Amino acid sequence: MTALLSVTDLSVVIGSKTLVDKVSFDLASGEVLSIVGESGSGKSMTAKALMGLLPPKVNASGRAMFDGMDLLATGVQPPRGTGIGLIFQEPMTALTPVLTIGLQLTEALVSHGICNAGEAQRRAIAMLDRVGIPSPEDRMRQYPHELSGGMRQRVVIAMMMLLDPRILIADEPTTALDVTVQAQILDLLREIVTDTQIGLILITHDMGVVAEMADNVLVMKSGKAEEFGAVQRIFAAPEADYTTTLLDAVPRIDASTSRKPALTEPLLKVGGINKTFAKRGVIFSKAARHKALDDVSLTIHRGETLALVGESGSGKTTVGRVIARLTEADTGTVTLNDTDLLALSGRELQDKRRAVQMIFQDPYASLDPRHTVGSTIAEPLIIHQNLSKSERSEQVHELLEKVGLSADMAQRYPHEFSGGQRQRIAIARAIAAKPLLVVADEPTSALDVSIQAKVLDLLESLKRSEDLTLLFISHDLAVVRQIADRVAVMRNGRILELGPSAELFANPRHPYTRALIDVAPVPDPTRKRGKRPVLKGDYPTGPLSEIGPGHWVAT
Amino acid sequence: MWRFLSTRILMGVLTIWITTILVTLLIHAVPGDPVQIMYAQSQGTTPEQIEEVRRSLGLDRPIPVQYAMFMERLVQGDLGNTIRGGQPVLDVIMQRLPNTLVLACAAMFIAVLIGVPIGFLAAYRKGSLTDITLMIIAIAGISMPHFWLGLVLLFFFAVELGWLPVSGNGWLNLVLPALTLGLSNAAIFARLTRSSMIDVMNQDYVQTALAKGLPRALVLRRHVLRAGLLPVVTMMGLQFAFMMGGAIVVENIFSWNGVGRMAVEAIFQRDYPIIQGFILTFSVVVVLVAITIDALYAVLDPRIRRS
Repeated sequence: MTALLSVTDLSVVIGSKTLVDKVSFDLASGEVLSIVGESGSGKSMTAKALMGLLPPKVNASGRAMFDGMDLLATGVQPPRGTGIGLIFQEPMTALTPVLTIGLQLTEALVSHGICNAGEAQRRAIAMLDRVGIPSPEDRMRQYPHELSGGMRQRVVIAMMMLLDPRILIADEPTTALDVTVQAQILDLLREIVTDTQIGLILITHDMGVVAEMADNVLVMKSGKAEEFGAVQRIFAAPEADYTTTLLDAVPRIDASTSRKPALTEPLLKVGGINKTFAKRGVIFSKAARHKALDDVSLTIHRGETLALVGESGSGKTTVGRVIARLTEADTGTVTLNDTDLLALSGRELQDKRRAVQMIFQDPYASLDPRHTVGSTIAEPLIIHQNLSKSERSEQVHELLEKVGLSADMAQRYPHEFSGGQRQRIAIARAIAAKPLLVVADEPTSALDVSIQAKVLDLLESLKRSEDLTLLFISHDLAVVRQIADRVAVMRNGRILELGPSAELFANPRHPYTRALIDVAPVPDPTRKRGKRPVLKGDYPTGPLSEIGPGHWVAT
Repeated sequence: MWRFLSTRILMGVLTIWITTILVTLLIHAVPGDPVQIMYAQSQGTTPEQIEEVRRSLGLDRPIPVQYAMFMERLVQGDLGNTIRGGQPVLDVIMQRLPNTLVLACAAMFIAVLIGVPIGFLAAYRKGSLTDITLMIIAIAGISMPHFWLGLVLLFFFAVELGWLPVSGNGWLNLVLPALTLGLSNAAIFARLTRSSMIDVMNQDYVQTALAKGLPRALVLRRHVLRAGLLPVVTMMGLQFAFMMGGAIVVENIFSWNGVGRMAVEAIFQRDYPIIQGFILTFSVVVVLVAITIDALYAVLDPRIRRS
């Protein structure tokens, strides 16, 4: 079969810096090629070069033969839309907020002279229907903000498919979506490839998605192609060392786990927490209210790692924030050593809240850019301990070394560190106060896989050496499987299932837990691909009842 | 959207109400006896006359009563009479207000007409010589005080070249004051438009529009311009208030017969009823403009309109 697109020695440079270095690959009709790599690998730049959408002053060289023309030759305008379509990661920002869905779907058809406005309207409605959007006629008149993230990504896919391209480039199309929505979008993309025989270039950092979707894989690192080959071969016998590292770093939901929940005394008890948020309050009017937490109770045992798992809007973050008293609950108790943390105020609260510390998702936002790393870590020491200045700086140095950094970094500012290093600094700050419980809210979601693995290892070893208890909040079941002793599954502000990690993954009892486990992409290309069952209709949300030792399910 | 707008209107009414309180207190904020100061320059005023003025202004009553009286007259559309001449303040202000509004609107028109295209061009050619040159001019424009720019324009176009009249109240007379007020604001709009457009041009939805193969001109016109103009619209509201303030200076330079010039005269003559009326009128205009801008914003941005 002749290649639909044949790329030879594609390079992208800005000034004297090489972003993509002599990358070559072929793409055939009906084939899915995954370009996989971590941040800074040049995978997105490769896509933009093919589209002729590189930012000013960034130049591409090499050859990319498509339909008898070289896309990279000077003076050639790549056939954007009609020849090659492009889908971005963030469906929230990929549609112009001030224009209707209908206009955005039809404008390119009209502008390319493919058909007139009336016909474009008809085709757009048919295509919306095709990508699984209910009542498409109404959607045409709506604006992007009125649709959910998954719906928007469907609209973007429809928008590109309307122009009948021969190649579709999807740049992390599901990274910003919940895992159940991700499964649906991947199914849709696979269907489109099979039905229309287009070539799909799927750019991703997620090995699970690669295994799920790809025929061929191009592994990239720092602008260079590490290896290119069939997906089974890449997973079974990777040739490049980097591929091996990458595959090893990926947490697996199907991994075996020997974790047993520690049978220790309870450290912290959360009882009957309710929390309602007002939706965009307007003075003098009864605003709509949104119930974030609905009678949430759980117990965290000393020395264990309890994971809270759920999709966006499940309330998992709110639970963590209520425990750390960053968000005030409407009703309920959080009992630590016989003290109700929620009943404290003033001086007393300041003393006791030391026991619970937080690590946030985004280490770029959680460190004050105007403070040195040293003074950021020292802050909890100043508040909670009576130390001399030299004792304090000694402690800071000790903490930095504990999290795998060096003592001389204390004088530097956050912007001098990488994302992984910043998260280590945030961890050092959290343990500086010698807490009993650390609430880690998606601490590795913003990090590359290889970095994620190291940060998870660090948390694990600190837990032992510092005698910590960990509440680990995450949307990623594979990560949770790796780190958690017990798991609580949340949805719409309620806990639906709670149990020992091994038991819960091996024997999920709640339909929602089952759906979550089913749809999570597994980095194993030999598994059967295709549509996965998606949770439909009603499921029990009532009070928890114990169905096995320590295994509770909503009834 | 109606909830959004009614909130804004309510806030506006609240603002005006607070202004009425401040305006009543204003007369007492001046050290010394206001009536004494008023008549300090005029010779041969008898104590009886001063007492009479004090009574007519209600200054012999407690402040809450003064406020009640002020509000009672206000709801009947009576802002009192001027000290000099004894004309109704409302009439005096209404006679001149249109002149000031015409000036501010003309200046706004010039500012937007010049500033927005310049900002758009600079954003389109970001980093080029054109961009840098335009932005240097814009900074110079922002830095220039109204009175200085006004005098320079006056000197060249009216005195040296004789193309335009020096002062007065005709359409030709409008040109120089409107330019003075408009040019420095054009610089502000140019800078804001530039940064807003650059921001929008980097958005995924612009890249997506380009990826569909739409011609660049269409992408700029349809996807970039509209989203990029939203902050500019907000700025128009804020700047209109500043322009009304700026008009006070500019009207005096060009002897433009607006409320600004009237206010300055009234201040020199300690004509409190006029000053009070002026401040109140001014705040009403600013609030009305702000509400109009909010409505315009809602029309342009479906996220507000349809929530």
